[in-house]
Amino acid sequence: MPNKLFLNFLFLLLYKHRVKHLSIFFISTLIVFILSSVLLLSHALQEDIKQTLKSQPEFTIQKMRGGRSVDVPLFWADGFESIEGVVDVEPRVYGEYFYEPNEHHFTIVGIDFFELAHSKKLKKIISDIDIKKFLSKPNMIIGQGVKAFLDRYHFFDYYVFRPPDRSKIEVNIYDYFPKESSLVSNDMIIMDIDLARQILGVDEDEATDFALYSPNELEADNIKIKLILQHFDTRIIQKSDIQKAYDKLFNYKGGIFLILYMIVLLTFMMILYQRYSMIQSSDKKEIGILRALGWSIKDVIVLKIGESFIVAIFAFLLGFILAFIYVFFLNAPLLGAIFYGYSNLPTDIVLNKSVDFSAVFLLFLFYILPFMAAVLIPAWRSSVIDPLEAMR
Amino acid sequence: MIFLSNGVIVFLFIETLLLILLSVAFINVLTILKSWNFEATTTKQYILEKRSYLVLLIIFFTLSFKIILLPYFAYMIDTLSDVVPGAMCAAGVINANKYGVWLLWLKIFILFLVGIWIILNHYDLKAENYPFFKKKLWLFILIFALIAGESVLDILYLKNISTKSIVSCCSSIYGASGISNPIPFDLHVNELLALFYLLFTLSITTAIYRFKFFSLLSNIAFLYIAYYAVVYFFGTYIYELPTHLCPFCMLQSGYYYIGYFIWGTLFLGTFFGMSVSIIEYLTDIDLSRLFRYSIIFNTTFILICSTYVLLYYIKNGVFL
Repeated sequence: MPNKLFLNFLFLLLYKHRVKHLSIFFISTLIVFILSSVLLLSHALQEDIKQTLKSQPEFTIQKMRGGRSVDVPLFWADGFESIEGVVDVEPRVYGEYFYEPNEHHFTIVGIDFFELAHSKKLKKIISDIDIKKFLSKPNMIIGQGVKAFLDRYHFFDYYVFRPPDRSKIEVNIYDYFPKESSLVSNDMIIMDIDLARQILGVDEDEATDFALYSPNELEADNIKIKLILQHFDTRIIQKSDIQKAYDKLFNYKGGIFLILYMIVLLTFMMILYQRYSMIQSSDKKEIGILRALGWSIKDVIVLKIGESFIVAIFAFLLGFILAFIYVFFLNAPLLGAIFYGYSNLPTDIVLNKSVDFSAVFLLFLFYILPFMAAVLIPAWRSSVIDPLEAMR
Repeated sequence: MIFLSNGVIVFLFIETLLLILLSVAFINVLTILKSWNFEATTTKQYILEKRSYLVLLIIFFTLSFKIILLPYFAYMIDTLSDVVPGAMCAAGVINANKYGVWLLWLKIFILFLVGIWIILNHYDLKAENYPFFKKKLWLFILIFALIAGESVLDILYLKNISTKSIVSCCSSIYGASGISNPIPFDLHVNELLALFYLLFTLSITTAIYRFKFFSLLSNIAFLYIAYYAVVYFFGTYIYELPTHLCPFCMLQSGYYYIGYFIWGTLFLGTFFGMSVSIIEYLTDIDLSRLFRYSIIFNTTFILICSTYVLLYYIKNGVFL
């Protein structure tokens, strides 16, 4: 272990040659910054989705005809309720409502306000409103993206929907979703289930799909088999399938980025190798003096490696802190678009601060190891200079 | 596609970098070994000595990272269980194809050799005339060959993990199938436990009285039996479920990553117990001092395991 004096000397040297290390320091900070922004962002989004999925139903059941999903008949619910382990069956009405001139769409979700047993998030939002007042006339709650969109077209208080039967339905804007839930609710409109049926053109004895709630995850597989046996023309979507699909998607996006980033890292290694291979005559003299003072080759190598290591560590810390600020305080402008990938309504998201320790370790390995690997050989090369030759 | 998982990409990138560095060292080692003569005062010997600094630097650097990479590998495999269908923990992913188990054992064996190399290197540098210089280079060549093989296995293993076909879960791999007893020598759990504590006592005794050869034997036996004892007895107390038999689930966050400590201390304890006599066989130096590390780590291992049983008993008033 290097002692205190050695470290003192190391930092003095670094300070003296600060101009020499500055360029490397900036490049490394930038590299760590970009890399960690991507990893932090991808992890934060994944956590967000995980939190959202927690309150989702265990199963979603759709009716299929010829590979397309069609509306489900309401009487199916009785069959599903008879399965052991299913505590609640909820018919849902939702769909996309297109705003023709601009090729945008809203997601309309119809809710039966008197049977709102399970979706905690919705419950929380709706707990503030007076249901009687809300249902007394056509009302809706809209997401932030929808709000921004409607504001642009001067629909401040209401919007006129055109259902398939060519009538007009005027619906008042009752409230907005909070920004924190923007990842899910950005383009969402919530209204009474019967109103939603009218606007989306769903028959009275049908629904878009069923949501099945079951409190025990361990029973899910058994329930799934029973569901498959009840109807042959269904598609059953399990919660864990959605979770896996999201994981795969984020892995895929992050993975492509990392593969491209490898090229950057390799180039960076080349630059480092070149930079530290250039031994100036003043450096030579310095090493010569140290060797003449009785330092062994090993000591000089430790000194040289120590120099680059400290540059690398400080660059890592600075880059990571900057990335943290960029992602969690500035909400990752520009970079976020890669991950949200939503062209419909612009998304404005507030990310929850969550840092994955393993991601930090991954980052550390991915950056420090190439850095150190690139400086090993140059550090050795400058350390074994013949002292006599160097002093000349 | 498993190759697009972030952990896998970084892991393979790092392994490749390390392999390239090791290859540079390997080529230099060959030239050094060919004409190394410490007594000579020729220019060539002088150049070789300079070069040996590079070789030792690279080897030390890469092998240290290898030590960090094994727990990371376990962690990576564990996270892959989210992507591989059917897998609940690393056990399923490791058994996803025939290469997995071999790869894991090879990695552990390499780590064992790396440990010996680092100790050897330490004592070699301490001495004035590099007495074990050639030996440690030969050992390095062995390690290099194994690491090259490991890299091939890495690729083969990761390439052949399918994200489509279903793998087994740990309870079906290690669980009691009811037909045959999975514990070696057809032991009952109680007998296994007795043997476990007896072997622990033996390894501590041999370490205290510095019976090097017996310590080697007792630690090998202890490692073997301890593995089964953890999987078939102590594990059930960690999971608090008598039917949950798995050496990998304890690596997960739900059990506070205790698995890393359990397997880590077991590896270190038995490693120091065994390496003393192996190094003495190679070099004739007396490393009995290292026995105290063996005692420390083995005792920590036993304490962690036993505490789980004890806490369970205190909380619930019964044994599983």
